[in-house]
Amino acid sequence: MKKIKVNLTVNGKEFTLEVGPKERLLDTLRERLKLTGVKEGCGIGECGACTVILNGEAVNSCLVLTGQLDGSEVITVEGLEVEGRLDPLQQAFIDHHAVQCGFCTPGMLMSARALLDKNPHPNREEIKRAIEGNLCRCTGYQQIIEAIESVAGKGEEEGADYFEWDPD
Amino acid sequence: MKESAARSGNRQGTSGGDFKDCFRPEDYFTASKYFAPESLKEAVEILEGYGGDLKVLAGGTDLLVEYYERLYEVKGWLDLKNIPGLKEIKVFEDRIEIGPLVTHTELEKSENIKEYYPVLNRAAADVGSPQIRNRGTIGGNIITASPAGDLLAPLMAYDAEFKLVSTRGERIVPVGQFFTGPKRTIISSNEILSRIIIPLPGERTYGSWCKVGKRKALIISSITLALVVKFNKERVIKDIRACLGAVAPTPVEIKEVRKRARGKRIEDLNFSELGELVAERISPIDDIRGTAEYRRDVAREIMINALEEIAEKAAE
Ligand SMILES: Cc1cc2nc3c(=O)[nH]c(=O)nc-3n(C[C@H](O)[C@H](O)[C@H](O)COP(=O)(O)OP(=O)(O)OC[C@H]3O[C@@H](n4cnc5c(N)ncnc54)[C@H](O)[C@@H]3O)c2cc1C
Ligand code: FES
Ligand code: FES
Repeated sequence: MKKIKVNLTVNGKEFTLEVGPKERLLDTLRERLKLTGVKEGCGIGECGACTVILNGEAVNSCLVLTGQLDGSEVITVEGLEVEGRLDPLQQAFIDHHAVQCGFCTPGMLMSARALLDKNPHPNREEIKRAIEGNLCRCTGYQQIIEAIESVAGKGEEEGADYFEWDPD
Repeated sequence: MKESAARSGNRQGTSGGDFKDCFRPEDYFTASKYFAPESLKEAVEILEGYGGDLKVLAGGTDLLVEYYERLYEVKGWLDLKNIPGLKEIKVFEDRIEIGPLVTHTELEKSENIKEYYPVLNRAAADVGSPQIRNRGTIGGNIITASPAGDLLAPLMAYDAEFKLVSTRGERIVPVGQFFTGPKRTIISSNEILSRIIIPLPGERTYGSWCKVGKRKALIISSITLALVVKFNKERVIKDIRACLGAVAPTPVEIKEVRKRARGKRIEDLNFSELGELVAERISPIDDIRGTAEYRRDVAREIMINALEEIAEKAAE
């Protein structure tokens, strides 16, 4: 089988991988790199549990082929924490009881992070739109939205202390 | 390479479980090819050489769902990502050319698309979820040709044309001749969609977009309407396109609307009559997303709303 050589930066670390043409980013992250914070719910783009940030954008890692990603940068939920300090969003999810079973949480956090990176002070509508591709069967969303809002309301410097995507 | 017995088609097996060091995800999949050529010329040559065996790959959001349980059937990919120019939106004097790899998010953000084709812009913003919009492309939406494809009715309403290339040259096909049935188009397996060409609409063109579905995000449209109206200086309707998606096997234009409305002022039109006309002419199907009757009612109401919206905008 033809292997594809892919240089990939994941959570700030560089990897050179040889992947098969049908390997999904979800599998690369979970099975090769053991980043099991990335969850597989539906496998077909409906639930958002597998959401990661790819070159600054939230994507469903179940619908991306790793072979397409040479030169790309990926951030998973494991990349949010910096030197033992939680991302403000993670802390807010705890403080606002936005986590119950927790299966949707990594995906929710990544969708919310992708939003705040582009738009540090989104309003409620913008927050809802950013997480519309993430299903939560437990919380009813209210606490999640409030958690994100609490970070969105704060000054820029609060959210900036985390690994950032630089396209150049 | 032979297909291994472990490859059952159960993709769930690819994650979870205790595979430890013996696990190599690619073992689950058949021998397959991957090409990412750097020019269109090379791409069509590869495609020609492999006949129908290769799948053209853009964002993968349709392909990876369609083949979710049978990825083993895919013999190989022709990835378009390295071909220059396919991600661009270019403005010319009389038209805009959109590369097939332009994503829904890019259509949503583009100032040019916003200004000239607001209906296409809003349709793109309504696709799936942010994750889907960030990967899914206009080219993939067109070639998938789902009756529920959100961009199709707007493209029809703006008289788009599609440029198809193969080793034998290129042809340009108007949107009205492109779709032949649900998930069917006239593209052949050796062709690549290389450009979406849309004439610039000119001044005094107004549009309205409506998508009605069951829940806000991730709905597959149960009905969409793209209405585009061009007025002359005297505020008389020069041209009008009422195009609907998800109500028939292909996107449809209700041409009778043109006959009835052209040459009139918008305030002289009978909106409910035109709504009724649209409802009569569509051939909706009963399915899990709604009954035929429901769709006819909805079609009438959204047509009336769209005309009201355009009348308001044109009066400004
Ligand atoms: C959860 C979910 C929700 C969705 N919601 C919506 C929605 O609300 N509205 C909607 O319209 N769609 C929706 N979609 C469908 C899909 O995301 C879009 O149709 C998208 O635009 C497809 O683009 P892609 O680049 O991902 O296509 P791909 O999967 O890469 O390709 C799709 C098809 O087009 C062919 N192809 C792609 N580009 C070319 C080209 N340039 N030349 C020749 N052939 C080509 C491929 O071979 C394949 O057959 C949804 C999908 C998912 C998974
Ligand atoms: S696992 Fe990817 S969206 Fe559900
Ligand atoms: S907390 Fe259980 S799915 Fe969201």
